[in-house]
Amino acid sequence: MDGIWLWISFVLVSMATHLPRGSFIVLGQRASLPPAVQGALRYAPAAALAAIVAPSVFVVDGDVQPFNPKLAAAVVVLVVTLRWKNPWLPFIVGMGVLLGLRKGLGF
Amino acid sequence: MNRRFVAGARSGFRIFLPLSIGLIPWALVTGVALTSAGLSVVEAMGMNLLVYAGVAQIATLPLIMAGAPLWLIGLTGLALNLRFLIFSAAIAKGFHGVPLRLRIPSGYLLIDGVFAVCTERMLAVRDWRWRLGYFLGPSLWGWCLWQSFVLTGVLGAGALPQDWSLEFMATIALMVILVPLSKNRPMLVAALSGGVASVLLRGMPLKLGVIVAIVIGIVAGFVASRALPDTRGA
Repeated sequence: MDGIWLWISFVLVSMATHLPRGSFIVLGQRASLPPAVQGALRYAPAAALAAIVAPSVFVVDGDVQPFNPKLAAAVVVLVVTLRWKNPWLPFIVGMGVLLGLRKGLGF
Repeated sequence: MNRRFVAGARSGFRIFLPLSIGLIPWALVTGVALTSAGLSVVEAMGMNLLVYAGVAQIATLPLIMAGAPLWLIGLTGLALNLRFLIFSAAIAKGFHGVPLRLRIPSGYLLIDGVFAVCTERMLAVRDWRWRLGYFLGPSLWGWCLWQSFVLTGVLGAGALPQDWSLEFMATIALMVILVPLSKNRPMLVAALSGGVASVLLRGMPLKLGVIVAIVIGIVAGFVASRALPDTRGA
């Protein structure tokens, strides 16, 4: 795909991003969700982030793999994030474990 | 500029700063991914300015480059971004009193990290100027950081080793946001349910499994907040 179609698809993905983002912020007082829904929405970020992260560490080539280098690295990242505040450490240690397992041990 | 606005912007910036560092590797990875998919510098940065959503950009790019039908590209983008509808609704009360001309760019700037750290006080503080600063300070910082490091990734893509699994840095960045959120029990239940459901539903077409999993996670968290005894700050 090239030229004008490429840009049309960019605009489309842009709309698919900014209509949901702007929705309630822009509508303001004219639209709202019931209080029970508002309460439930507090759990949206955690649920959404986990829904994006989980498949990328548990699934390899379409199948669930309980032992894989990405999961091992993710477990280490979890421990590092819980234990230390340094913002770079999870990236350094996580990538180190992943590359060590893949390159060093050939997984 | 209003003094309350500046005070809010300073507080928001300070609370988002450590988390915002997580955007850097993620932005670099996105820049590399856009270039590796075959976009020119202008196309990559054009998409980055128009969309400004790493997950949606990286996920729709293969469809775009393969010449998939526009409706499929649009729906996939929408499915990946429906979480923003939820975020927008959850933070909307924090924009009470803010003029429309400022709410529109605020919507454009809404990203996961700022939502995660700023929502609570956005809903609690009375002064709308403080609240607007508290949102726009970190949001504009995040935008600048994102754009400049995506550009760095786009320009530097050629120099990086291709086989270093650099895309995994995106996953680490998401985990760094997720872990501190999950420290109270209903949040943990929401995260675990959403994660497990997403893995089980990965076969659904158009990535719709992600949306269903998010809804399952939210419901589970809500139910847990009613059922579990030690629900701090519910």
